[in-house]
Amino acid sequence: MNKVLLGSLSAVSLAVAASAQAKDEVFVGHLADLSGPTAFVGKYYADGVRDSLAYINKNGGIDGTTVNFETIDYAYKVPQAIGAYKKWKSRKKMVAMQGWGTADTEALISFAAKDKIPVYSASYSGHLTDPMGKNPHTKKPAPYNFFYGASYSDACRALVKWAADDWKMKGKKGQPKFTHIGANHPFPNAPKKACAEYATELGFNVMPPVVVSMKPGDFKAQCLTLKNSKTNYGYIGNLGGSVLSLIKSCKTVKTDIQFMSNIWGGDKEIFNAIGSGVKDYVFPTMTPFWSDDVEGMKLVHKVSLQSDKSGKKQRTHHYVRGVCSAFYMKEAMEWAKKNGGITGANIKKGMYAVKNWEPKGLEGACMPATWTNDDHRGINTVNIYKGNYENGEVKIDKVSEVTLERRDDWLGY
Amino acid sequence: MSTTSMRPCGDFRTSYQQDNTIFETKFIWLLAVASVGLLCLAPLFLDEYFLSLAIQVSYLGIAALGLNILVGFTGQISLGHGAFFGFGAFASAWINTQFGIPVFFAIPLAGFLTMAVGMMFGLPAARIKGLYLAIATLAAQFIIEDFFARAEWFSGGSAGAMADSVNIFGYLFDTDQSFYYIAIFALVTMYLWGSNLMRTRDGRAFVAVRDHYLSAEIMGINLTKYRLLSFGVSAFYAGIGGALYGHYLGYVSAEGFTIMMSIQFLAMCIIGGLGSVKGTLMGVIFMVMLPESLESVVGLMKETSWGNIPAVVDGIAYLKEMAIGLVIILFLIFEPEGLAHRWAQIKNYWKFYPFSY
Repeated sequence: MNKVLLGSLSAVSLAVAASAQAKDEVFVGHLADLSGPTAFVGKYYADGVRDSLAYINKNGGIDGTTVNFETIDYAYKVPQAIGAYKKWKSRKKMVAMQGWGTADTEALISFAAKDKIPVYSASYSGHLTDPMGKNPHTKKPAPYNFFYGASYSDACRALVKWAADDWKMKGKKGQPKFTHIGANHPFPNAPKKACAEYATELGFNVMPPVVVSMKPGDFKAQCLTLKNSKTNYGYIGNLGGSVLSLIKSCKTVKTDIQFMSNIWGGDKEIFNAIGSGVKDYVFPTMTPFWSDDVEGMKLVHKVSLQSDKSGKKQRTHHYVRGVCSAFYMKEAMEWAKKNGGITGANIKKGMYAVKNWEPKGLEGACMPATWTNDDHRGINTVNIYKGNYENGEVKIDKVSEVTLERRDDWLGY
Repeated sequence: MSTTSMRPCGDFRTSYQQDNTIFETKFIWLLAVASVGLLCLAPLFLDEYFLSLAIQVSYLGIAALGLNILVGFTGQISLGHGAFFGFGAFASAWINTQFGIPVFFAIPLAGFLTMAVGMMFGLPAARIKGLYLAIATLAAQFIIEDFFARAEWFSGGSAGAMADSVNIFGYLFDTDQSFYYIAIFALVTMYLWGSNLMRTRDGRAFVAVRDHYLSAEIMGINLTKYRLLSFGVSAFYAGIGGALYGHYLGYVSAEGFTIMMSIQFLAMCIIGGLGSVKGTLMGVIFMVMLPESLESVVGLMKETSWGNIPAVVDGIAYLKEMAIGLVIILFLIFEPEGLAHRWAQIKNYWKFYPFSY
């Protein structure tokens, strides 16, 4: 017994020593939710990030510098996120961090800004896009926060814009009605006001929001409300099981409504789980789909081999966004290495170096993004897809691609 | 409770003063002062990781002591403590940004504001108790949580509220090293106050209400008053803890203050020992350190070549969550009176070593 213990201990210390000996490396922290309340989408996104980092390391790193990274499952708990951040910052000299949701991202805004550590997150709150605090709506400027994708507000605006065109195209008369459907919780609420304002601007009749719990349940009452108010377009702010229950309930009471969901509310897995009832369910993406024939997706497929040797796994679009997030960071680090060394401040500058930026090899997979010193809205184009469930199979088709203008009053809001 | 019910032989107390003393001997007093002094030197030796954990223990510890005063000392129950904690965080940020009152004063003011809210939600305690009261306070949790999401003037709604760092005469306490002193100062003050409270007339009334409310009433204790006061004090502590949390992070989001947090506070009190000030702090340290120490074990495994593959990392993630649950269950079975009880036993053993029986 003792021998085994000794052996394993020495193996561990050897491994530690070995990792300490490698000189040319930088540390990137990776916070993921693999076991908490958001794990069912957090898992896909986290796989995208860590597969990419592993792939980058196997293919030369950052121009020869290895990206040493650690994935910590913080189970969506703020104290654990802070603990992990502090540990990485003080012990491993972290230069950048890949984060996950609203909870960790917002708790770390001040720390990241103070320590000059860029945080790449999958929290697409609009207020993270205003690094200088130019918009009076912005409570707290987040100069070191980046995300790849359109903000929740912008995605919702794009959907509303599509809905306005859809209404005209179908030749319907009168004023279309728009309703926000979601829990009274920061995440579904994030785009509520911004989206309603734009909908009014486009001539929608904005109905009072319908509150649907984040937890799965029986939502027939809410569906009847939607039915009675004759809402034409409903924006779903929730995700996961709650969306599933909503679709099922609305199918039962035969609500005639065009659903449009947020970025986390629609993917192949959830449509498979819902099964029949998914009809022309519209959702936004910031990337192509797994099976789409796009040049850049070839690299994504290669990245996927890191954790799936068979290469048969179908990844969600959340996975692809994770890959994009990691590769933008990689190229910003390359820029930083050439321009004074890989430090947090230089990586931030590296994010502003290229306009209409697509990471090398991911052309078409990640959409051309532009970050500037005073505008962290990476992309302003949203792909709109629709999902259908027919004869036991999920069918997903691209509907449209909406490009929003970069309006000043939309910055950080 | 071993200290009150059973006293080892050789431990004689001849006056009420001796019975109520916080520091039993001169040596313990010296030890306490020395350890506070040592804590003040900690930033010289410890890195930010440990300091941030100490800060976490401080703000959670203050809030947990509040709950223990309510649950452990007064025998009431609250499932809304997490919401009060959040209310303190938002209130302090709001008082600071809206009225321009310096953070140093905004924190206690937020405590009083939370106290008012706590007493309002404590009103049902005048009529109901036990499980019914638990459900009534559960309502507080949901009402306040909903309030955070809706009241944009107060909490900033979904965008959250920003909280400035503590600023005393132009010196900004915005690093872990400096904020640590604020946290330790608050912790020591609030714990001393909590210990002293229990020695006062009001504190004894709390205990009387807990032990036998009928007898207490016959002795002339106004039950409603003391139950409400207990809710108030408890919320005050939660408010102070929450305010510290907000000013430490610099930003308060409406997301974190869920029922889970309330339950975690209860768990801290139960693990530490209901009705023990010292025990509360032990329970908090235990609950903060448990996931961190499990994480460092996981971290060691990840340093190995076979451990750093996604399958293993994911597997460990679930094991970690389960291990936390398991440790808590084992604790409740084998240490039902909390860490405070164990500590008292260890102390008594060594006090009379080698002649203890």
